[in-house]
Amino acid sequence: MKKRTIAKLLVANRGEIALRIIRTARTRGIKTVAIFSAVDAASLHVALADEARRVGPAEAAKSYLNIDAIVAAARETEADAIHPGYGFLSERPEFARAVADAGITFVGPRADVMAALGDKVSARKIATAAAVPVVPGIETGDVKAVRSFAAEHGYPILVKAAAGGGGRGMRVVADDKSLESALEAASNEARAAFGDGRIFVEKYLTRPRHIEIQILGDEHGGMVALGERDCSIQRRHQKIIEESPAPGLADTTRAQMIAAALSLARSAGYTNAGTAEFMVEGDKFYFLEVNARLQVEHPVTELRYGVDLVAAQLAVASGGRVSELPAPRGAAIECRIYAEDAEHDFRPAIGTVLQLNVPSGPGVRFDSHMAPGAVVGAWYDGMLGKLICYGEDREQARARMVAALDEFTLLGVINTAAYLREIVASDAYRDADLSTHFIEEHFKNWRGGSESDDAALVAAAMTAAGALGARVSSTEAAMNDGRVARDRSPWNELAGFELWKSSR
Amino acid sequence: MKLKRDSGEELDLELVARDGANVRVRVGEYEIAAEVQSLSGDGAIVTIGGRRYRVAGARRNSSILVAVGPRNFEFRPAEEARRRQRGLAAAEIVAPMPGKVLNVMVREGDRVDTGQPLAVLEAMKMETTLAAESPATVKRVCVTAGQMVDHGAVLIELSPPPDSSGRESVPPET
Repeated sequence: MKKRTIAKLLVANRGEIALRIIRTARTRGIKTVAIFSAVDAASLHVALADEARRVGPAEAAKSYLNIDAIVAAARETEADAIHPGYGFLSERPEFARAVADAGITFVGPRADVMAALGDKVSARKIATAAAVPVVPGIETGDVKAVRSFAAEHGYPILVKAAAGGGGRGMRVVADDKSLESALEAASNEARAAFGDGRIFVEKYLTRPRHIEIQILGDEHGGMVALGERDCSIQRRHQKIIEESPAPGLADTTRAQMIAAALSLARSAGYTNAGTAEFMVEGDKFYFLEVNARLQVEHPVTELRYGVDLVAAQLAVASGGRVSELPAPRGAAIECRIYAEDAEHDFRPAIGTVLQLNVPSGPGVRFDSHMAPGAVVGAWYDGMLGKLICYGEDREQARARMVAALDEFTLLGVINTAAYLREIVASDAYRDADLSTHFIEEHFKNWRGGSESDDAALVAAAMTAAGALGARVSSTEAAMNDGRVARDRSPWNELAGFELWKSSR
Repeated sequence: MKLKRDSGEELDLELVARDGANVRVRVGEYEIAAEVQSLSGDGAIVTIGGRRYRVAGARRNSSILVAVGPRNFEFRPAEEARRRQRGLAAAEIVAPMPGKVLNVMVREGDRVDTGQPLAVLEAMKMETTLAAESPATVKRVCVTAGQMVDHGAVLIELSPPPDSSGRESVPPET
């Protein structure tokens, strides 16, 4: 295969991952094209790119999921490659195909490989053929068929969308009674999220860990694994804390999992970066799915291996070969900070960033598109940023994470930073009592402690009296109270009050 | 000033005195003495009983936002609490987040029981079922399926159910 040069890269995404990809492209002398929706014109990823194209209105379906508009933007700007990031179109084979058909390099696996692996049912077939263990399961939304499956393998069972990833539509069904309504709800949610209502049902493991293997393959048959990540700490079946190495994972189990991931990826003809996800109970592991893209949590791997995975993706996409990797060092932990209220069932929050204190120091990395004035609306995923800490060992990484989160403030959008801090600082987390039920077992119905209440009350009284902080302008406040802004720049947002006002 | 914490707790909060960096804040019956040192950026260091806290605050139209380190607090005027009425856990079913109304299961005049699903809201690709927190009568349905709603939008208004004697109980204050 010929080497293709990537001179200009269109990043088909938004938020922190678009920024992340643009940053790497800049270090490699690759020009970048950002895309944005009507509400993202003032976003950081737009500011950092060499060019930017508006691809549609706020609705993702008409902008970040608009294949025609994105491919047209790439053509107009003469981009020779497209990086899909994660989420949005990253795992849509029809997008990979449309990009390839336009003569543009897709930074990711081939469309047919993505299609085969992206579908949980066919991915299981590939895994089984490659002698990779899988959890017993069937693809069906039929109540009778599911009943007999449950009778054979026992409750609880897990009901989920057959398409897509990220845990959308997942439901645990404990008994026959709730089965029918769960199947219907999961199918509706799957249809809403992926436009595909097919359902997959499997045996539910009681107390598993979620551990995944990072792989990287080239077009010449080269394939390497970059160790594992433990992503057991999840809420609503979505990861919030990830780390590498997986604490307490036996070397033999790790080696078996890596061998399984490589064998699976090879037999699927996988290229570029991907992740094989497994459920692990004791020394037993079961293949879950392949995420045929860069993962949100890829930085923990980058820190341990000293690699830039986006750079590796670009190299492989331009026909390069993967090379042997250095041995991993130390430990890394990532916390995803979401615009959610952890004290109220993780309800989504919106607002405008009024103040942002970003931690720093040795081993501390913050991947985020947040900045004062940034508007967080309800249109897209509510992840505000990822804090990643590296240490010589897990304890050092953990101590750095606690200190970094203590240093973190984001005022203006209710977020999960304090909740994550409590988790990482807890005995349960220190002792690595990890399973996908961690939150349920240790942090269910969490309420923040009262130790900072008095300080908060003093700050509230001072703020109410106009002696602390900024008075947010009425248009901005209206937005914060629910209406979503259109085409506002940070400067418009910040007009009408003094950002650096001091206390009188 | 009467404020309500997002936990629902109501507070009577007052900045009693301010003498240079020394601040006294009354919270209901008790007082907090603090030293407040403003920072070069936004925010301040609040020292209470020898412990230092890095704080930030901002006023929005309907709430005060405060951060103490990574922790967020939101205070709203207590008037909102008055919208709750006797005999009802909540007089209004409001959207807990911005999203789309997928389904409305009740009609005006329906009698509903505690826990009965009233409407389904979709936000962030998740479905949330909003249920009655107490027995009630549906007074008004303010939305239709398919409609986009903002955080805090009233979806359904409830009135108290007829009491055991069959009479309507006290009408809601407005």
